[in-house]
Amino acid sequence: MSFVAKVVWGKAVSLDRTLLISEAQFVQNVWIESYDPTIEDSYRKQIEVDGRQCILEILDTAGTEQFTAMRELYMKQGQGFLLVFSITSASSLHELSELREQITRIKDDEQVPIVIVGNKSDLEEDRAVPRARAFALSQSWGNAPYYETSARRRANVNEVFIDLCRQIIRKDLQGNSKYSDPSRKRDGPNRHDRKRDKKRQVRRKGPCVIL
Amino acid sequence: MEPMKEHIAPLKISKGRPNLSVSVDSDSIGNHSAQHDFWITSPSTPYHKKDTTMDPIEPPRTVFHNYLRAFYPFHPPGDVSPATVTLPLDQGDIVLVHSVHTNGWADGTLLNTGDRGWLPTNYCEAYDELPMRPLLKALMDFWDIIRGGCGTSLRDFGNQDLMRGLIAGIRFLLDKSECLRRESPLVSAHDGLRRTRKALLSDLSSLVKTSKSFKELANGSPMEDEVEYMLDEMLLKAFKVVTRGVRFLEVWNEDVGLSRTIAELEQSNFSSHALYDIPPTPASETFTENASSEAGDTERNESRLLNRSRMNTSRASTRTDMCDAQHPRPVSFSGKRVSVSYRMSSSCPSTAVRNPNLASERLAASNDAFLGVLGSYIGLHSHSHSSTELLATTQQAVQSCHAFLAVVEAVGEHSPQGWQFVEQSKINMDERLCEFVDAASDAFRPANSPGNEIVIMPDEGKRLVDAVTNCVRAAGDCSAKARLVLEHTGDFELEGFVQDANASHSESSDTHARDTRNMGENQDRPNDLPLRVPPPPLQIPNTEYSPSTPGLTEATTPSSFQSRMGVNSPPDGADVTLLASAAVPPASLEKMPYSSSSAEGTSRASHPRSDTNESCRRAVTSTGSSFTYHSNTRDSEMSGVSQTSTRATSPDIGNHYQVPSLKGSVSHSTLAEENEEAEANVLQKTYAHELIFRDGELKGGSLRALVEMLTAHQSTPDATFASTFYLTFRLFATPLELAQALVDRFEYIGESQSAAGPVRLRVYNVFKGWLESHWRHDCDNVALEFIKNFAKTTLMIHLPSAAKRLVELVEKVSMVHGPVVPRLVSSMGKTSTATAQYVHPETPLPPPILGRKEVNLLKQWKNGEGSLCILDFDPLELARQLTIKESRIFCSILPEELLRLEWSKPKGSLAVNVAALIKMCNEITNLVTDSILQFEEVKKRATVIKHWIKIADKCLELNNYDSLKAILGSLDSSPVTRLYQTWDELSQKSKARKAVLDEIMTLDNNQKNLRPRLQSLAPPCLPFLGTYLTDLTMYEHGNADKRSLPTDSGGMEVINFDKHMKTARSISELQRFQIPYRLAEVPELQAWMQSELVRVRSLHEESPFALYNRSLVLEPRVEAPSHYSSTAQSSSILENAKDRFDFRSWLLTSKSKPVATHG
Repeated sequence: MSFVAKVVWGKAVSLDRTLLISEAQFVQNVWIESYDPTIEDSYRKQIEVDGRQCILEILDTAGTEQFTAMRELYMKQGQGFLLVFSITSASSLHELSELREQITRIKDDEQVPIVIVGNKSDLEEDRAVPRARAFALSQSWGNAPYYETSARRRANVNEVFIDLCRQIIRKDLQGNSKYSDPSRKRDGPNRHDRKRDKKRQVRRKGPCVIL
Repeated sequence: MEPMKEHIAPLKISKGRPNLSVSVDSDSIGNHSAQHDFWITSPSTPYHKKDTTMDPIEPPRTVFHNYLRAFYPFHPPGDVSPATVTLPLDQGDIVLVHSVHTNGWADGTLLNTGDRGWLPTNYCEAYDELPMRPLLKALMDFWDIIRGGCGTSLRDFGNQDLMRGLIAGIRFLLDKSECLRRESPLVSAHDGLRRTRKALLSDLSSLVKTSKSFKELANGSPMEDEVEYMLDEMLLKAFKVVTRGVRFLEVWNEDVGLSRTIAELEQSNFSSHALYDIPPTPASETFTENASSEAGDTERNESRLLNRSRMNTSRASTRTDMCDAQHPRPVSFSGKRVSVSYRMSSSCPSTAVRNPNLASERLAASNDAFLGVLGSYIGLHSHSHSSTELLATTQQAVQSCHAFLAVVEAVGEHSPQGWQFVEQSKINMDERLCEFVDAASDAFRPANSPGNEIVIMPDEGKRLVDAVTNCVRAAGDCSAKARLVLEHTGDFELEGFVQDANASHSESSDTHARDTRNMGENQDRPNDLPLRVPPPPLQIPNTEYSPSTPGLTEATTPSSFQSRMGVNSPPDGADVTLLASAAVPPASLEKMPYSSSSAEGTSRASHPRSDTNESCRRAVTSTGSSFTYHSNTRDSEMSGVSQTSTRATSPDIGNHYQVPSLKGSVSHSTLAEENEEAEANVLQKTYAHELIFRDGELKGGSLRALVEMLTAHQSTPDATFASTFYLTFRLFATPLELAQALVDRFEYIGESQSAAGPVRLRVYNVFKGWLESHWRHDCDNVALEFIKNFAKTTLMIHLPSAAKRLVELVEKVSMVHGPVVPRLVSSMGKTSTATAQYVHPETPLPPPILGRKEVNLLKQWKNGEGSLCILDFDPLELARQLTIKESRIFCSILPEELLRLEWSKPKGSLAVNVAALIKMCNEITNLVTDSILQFEEVKKRATVIKHWIKIADKCLELNNYDSLKAILGSLDSSPVTRLYQTWDELSQKSKARKAVLDEIMTLDNNQKNLRPRLQSLAPPCLPFLGTYLTDLTMYEHGNADKRSLPTDSGGMEVINFDKHMKTARSISELQRFQIPYRLAEVPELQAWMQSELVRVRSLHEESPFALYNRSLVLEPRVEAPSHYSSTAQSSSILENAKDRFDFRSWLLTSKSKPVATHG
């Protein structure tokens, strides 16, 4: 069974190079001597989640952080979200709340698959965000999973994606019943969109967004 | 290669005769016929000797080598035939290897004569002397360029600096042997050395001369023949230079190396460090051990290097071991079906000429076939379909998958490491295929009941498509892995896959018919190709004369025989038939000391004879004329046997130059001036070895090597390279470092008289170009004083007038703020703007679509009377004015704003125009949202949305993707999407139109629809800037700044110029679009739009939630149905959220109301 999960990769943190490299490595699974982001498959990756094959499509908005008005456009196309902050920066954690609010608003859903990621776990000595605070945030978001990763050490990166995919798959299964609900029909922004969504369901396809 | 052709005709073997007849080069047969008896009967050829110690069953370990040297003469007996493919070898002959058959026969070109043909690798050893390496590599590159065919125009081809690598190689050789200068003690002391050195240089100068005249020829309008002739001539001369180089090294080893090694060995009795402390000159080496320790690192390395090479040659028994230890190369086991190894060559531009039997080609073909079937599967599935139809496709898919997997497997088996590497993905692929078949069979179960043609259930269909998608992924993975393996181990020919690979195309169950057809196809293909050098058919190896081939494995090339007959068989039908049915007299067994193929025996065993016969027949009938094709992927890295341990000495080179087959290159000119020129060429200091090339593209290099490229003396620098360099050099060097590197270049080129002039002028030109049009006052000014100083001193001495001009420039630059010579903003992309439609300058601009009514409205608005609304204006006109507005900012974006993520700097960013455009884009989005939310009536809002969709559509017509994206951004924003009532009011037509726009701008699959669209667009165009910003971010982060370059002294980090090239390419793509639109501006309309943008901006700044809250007021939240929210927790969250938002909206009602009435 295959499944395409679209993940939006969004960062409250200013981008750090290693994070991106690990993302590239994650997608291509090899050390890339020369990375080309313009080819169609550069953000796709097949992973296995609980015995299911899942094609992960990562929508990376790196470089376009300043297109604030466009952010919702990216979010709308995502099915799952990685909210990344740096454990060395307390403000980066605060920014996540705003992002999440925007996500739940555009998705019109409080239960959007989200994984909170505290990056730079290798810099324990510079830690500015205690684990407890991150967990508290996670709890206030309906127990969104929290991971600490080190892109540099490639620690926990795969786990983050797998967890998110798991959530998306679960959501998708629920979603099927949701879409069969006739009362839902009248809230769709437009019929065509909904149809497309449905088709996507059939093809089990959708993006993953990293924020 | 006109003159060579005759030497490369397929080998003919007449099996009917008791004597094996192998044709031999007519020129040399006479000289060496006396030796025949000796070597034919000699049981003690090195190969045989070794053979006895080898387990014949063990697969041969093969190490790839590009060059072989014969250590034993090989002169095939038999009739002298003018059409020969078996190369006679003399001891010491150097061969450039193109491919190696597992039976030990290699397709190679003899450097002495330029002849190409088959030769037994067991008569050869690998040739890989350290001091020769750069030269050997340069020769290979040279061959690639010339034989790989020029993908570019002849003129560009001619303008390449072809000689550079070879000259650098010679220089390296001379440098390592301390003979760089004529006056060096070694050269003066050894007469033989001096003579060989002189000959080497004279050969080089003759080559350089030829290349110069070729350049002239290429720039004129040459005849095809002339070009071919010149190319051949150059190649032959290059061969000659290399041969001479080999000879030189040998002379050196005899004269100098041997004595040094002896001395060294003696010394090592006293000191364990002796090996490393040998001083570089023989005079001192026996005495001054202390002095040597003071020698610099480089010198020590040199002496080590020399020691090594000395050891290599003089102590032959350890040679290969050392060589292998130094350079662990991929070892390949020859797999079952592998018969010929090629190096993966990506240097050949035209795939048409590629050998379709190559594993890489086969891999691609079978992968394509498989994906094709899967594609049609999905296609079938999404349309109406009958189960039988699907069944047939499923069958095809499975067949093609097996074909594909077989190729992958073959690749994997090619090398043991490769297998481990590929295995997992192959297993994965297998599983996916099983899943797919399972899914398919489940889906078809109902159809099994007789006579039933039912349409499969949607649910099953989903599963099927999932399975197919998985298969596609797995296949991609497999293919990628296999490719990687190929890159490591060398490409090779896959035999016997002809049918398999094509099986997928055929639905016929009749395998025989299919085979025949495919055979036919395969034979037809090469016939279409330009007739070139054929890879000589490997028939010798396939003969049944020699059952004991040590080089050979268990065997077997299933059907290799057959397919080879099909594809490569010689035209001589009689021979082929004879071959197929030959009864071979055992007497001839002993006559094949090179004893190639046991493959034949097994091949026969594993194939029904009828099969073989059939294929032969087919071959004969379908290839009536002698077809040939050029195996472009010739440069193999593999040589079968290199573990042999006897050292060969090259015969005196003088002899070989009497061989008349060095056609055309008669010039034994020893004119003094030519020699001088060669001296100069070699003496020219160069850092060319610090560059990294791959696939003919520059990938990296040290700063000094890059500067050298920029100021090459024989050719003007490549325009793309130069502009990339100017644009990006600050990313890898400070301005001061660049200035210093340029000055260094200016100084060290002074050592060679002939080049100094042009190079120094180029250095000056680089300074001039930098100051004039690429100067950045913010960071380059630090170098100003340095440049001035250089101009006033060094430059003044050599080029006084240039110096004066440079000083003037420096002064001008320090006074003026801004470029001295205004450069076109898009100077980099200008080369590609040729695609822009030419519009005559006097063509009138399209008149604005403004009626009297609109003009009056604008007038009133200007006087502060009345208000305007976007509905008052024509969508096209609004789109035009938006385009003018954005295009103005877009066109002023400077390339440096896009470098090193300048735009994302939180503070002090120089990317003002990028920031302005982003801001404009955001404001347009907010303006759209605002204009929709202005109206309280649902119908009115729907009308505004409709209007914006029309405007977006017009933006698309104008190629304004930036505004298009901004408008879609609003329509998909949370305040607008949630207006369900409004969307319901919208007509189907408008929705359909929006859907089309959405599809174009989709982010799916890395913007799969937008990217190709932009590629093919002719400017003017306004692409969405964000795409470029993302790409540039990825280039920046995804590629390292440095690359490591292996050198003889460990390795060095050089600039990853590839990264900068990519960045520059992306920027130039953007610049390609920086052309102003030819549209008429309507100042009043612009003013109104500006004021609207400002109004929305201030509104947004006041409260970022203003728009969302107004949306909530207009269409309050619908209470979520209780059964929809599954858990109590989530519903309570929704409840809370609702409260929160309502609260906010209540707060803001007063604020938004006036705005709403404003419209």
